[in-house]
Amino acid sequence: MNSLVVSDVTLAFGGLYALSDVNLTIQAGLITSIIGPNGAGKTSMLNCISGFYHPTRGAIRFGERVLTRASPHQVSSWGIARAFQNIELFRGMTVLDNLMLARHRKLDYSFWHAFIYMGRASRQEAVNRAFVEEIIDFMELEPYRKHIVGGLSYGVQKRVEVARALTLEPQLLLLDEPMAGMNIEEKEDMVRFVLDIQKERHTTVVLVEHDLGVVMDISDQIYVLDFGQLIGSGRPEEVARDPKVIEAYIGEN
Amino acid sequence: MSANRWFATGNFFSAYRDEQRIFATHLDRAIFATFLTALFVWPLCFEVSSKNMLVLDNILVAMVAIIGLNLVTGFAGLISIGHAAFVGVGAYTLALLARTIGDSHVLITHAWPLMLLGCGGMGALFGAFVGLPALRLKHLYLAIATLSFQMIFQWTINFLPMFNQGQTISIGRVFWFGGEVSRKDHYFFWYYVALTIVVVFGLAVRNLLRSRYGRSLVAVRDNDRAADAMGMHPGLTKVYAFALAGFFAGVAGGLHAYLYRGAGIESFTLQQSITYLAMAIVGGLGTLTGAFWGPAAIRLLDLQVENLVEWLTAIMPANMNLATALKPLTFGLVIVLFLMFEPRGIANWWRICRSYVKLWPFRY
Repeated sequence: MNSLVVSDVTLAFGGLYALSDVNLTIQAGLITSIIGPNGAGKTSMLNCISGFYHPTRGAIRFGERVLTRASPHQVSSWGIARAFQNIELFRGMTVLDNLMLARHRKLDYSFWHAFIYMGRASRQEAVNRAFVEEIIDFMELEPYRKHIVGGLSYGVQKRVEVARALTLEPQLLLLDEPMAGMNIEEKEDMVRFVLDIQKERHTTVVLVEHDLGVVMDISDQIYVLDFGQLIGSGRPEEVARDPKVIEAYIGEN
Repeated sequence: MSANRWFATGNFFSAYRDEQRIFATHLDRAIFATFLTALFVWPLCFEVSSKNMLVLDNILVAMVAIIGLNLVTGFAGLISIGHAAFVGVGAYTLALLARTIGDSHVLITHAWPLMLLGCGGMGALFGAFVGLPALRLKHLYLAIATLSFQMIFQWTINFLPMFNQGQTISIGRVFWFGGEVSRKDHYFFWYYVALTIVVVFGLAVRNLLRSRYGRSLVAVRDNDRAADAMGMHPGLTKVYAFALAGFFAGVAGGLHAYLYRGAGIESFTLQQSITYLAMAIVGGLGTLTGAFWGPAAIRLLDLQVENLVEWLTAIMPANMNLATALKPLTFGLVIVLFLMFEPRGIANWWRICRSYVKLWPFRY
């Protein structure tokens, strides 16, 4: 498995520096969290990795691949999937279709096969439908298969969002605040999913999250951002003791 | 699958291939087959005047065009105000060829199925080209870009001598296995051709929509950021949507030219583009059946209003102006009413009727 290396990344919007000279190493197979106060540049970091923004300076590498100037569809085809903070599902489609869309690149029958829908097209659709079912089973979405996504509850939509990212069969999964706005029960479920994704599906996870309890419990590695700068990193217990982190984000006691 | 394949009751899917079927039961399949047979057979059983046949031909040609418009505007969510121009591209491809090689050249009279495909191809090329702004523009700005194509098209046709400055360019009678299609059979012949095309295209699009190529259209409509993250190029998908719409429009244009035995600018104006949009809206955007309901509803309404106007001018000649205004008036009213009360179009009524029949005698 590949690890992700972000070296000296600066992201500037005119004179505003969303990220300045950030260095991160996301090791394969672990859960790495990025935390920090609002506006610290966490989501900007994810946007740089997944190709929605391109860094002004610096480089991002995933194994052999250079992601610095890649577009989102390239990045996703190289094995980096992303679940968005503000749910970005295809609202008018069913859960099933949302997940089947994530198989877009895996389905490679031609346009003409699609017209006739026999042989290759039908066969590939069935195979990928089976894979989607595996993810539905994994994320416990069975009751919602044929429901239109726009009509589902927030917590379920978040789960569909993660499921859709998983359907891409990523090596690296970027989760942007998967637990924001959820109640305790849904949070517990989501934590269980994140741990399972790492352990059972052998996927590297990058977690951006504000719930410190969750972050401290499940992370192997934590990076702390503040005003676009990296102010601390290390194992959870190290970060929790770091005076700079305490001052910027965690607070006393 | 259980023993009785005629009814859905008690049948559960046990393979993903079963789930892919368009028709779940034999009953659905039988009904569809009967309906199709009826469409093909009825003109042989009843006496139909050429005038009425022309109305039906017109509806079928519009259906082909609306299938395309529905793909780009309904499924991919890209408003196209230049659809009549794409239909025009198809018609003028044929017309220009007729003008160059003679309107009764073998290519035009005998190889007309190929010509229709060629018209479609040309439409697709123009569609892709006009769709290029979709790489940068969104929403209404993109709609204006398609409007500009409509304008450029009209000006080009109106001013270039090559296109007879918008005057009709004639196209010869086609041949079928029995020889030249006579004046008497002309509209009947094109009824069958257009019907076959509508059926084939309808099924093809139905297939396309449940494949990756159809899902990607809906993906860029619902959320093009997420579509990008799912590994498809949103811009190119939009260009492809325009090309697809252009293809269907082109074929419709070719049919139109053959049907009227000529092409003139008056059938491909901005007003016609708006009429096409209205058909798509009234039929139901983003539904395949909408592409069949819309043209039928709008054309039949047109016809009824025309009859009414005739009748009104006969009994009150003094109010002739008012009566003529009735047509655009009803047209506008129908669109507004649909947008307000049934934005999902007639296709939604069809859906409700179907689910009612399916569940009968139970309520839910």
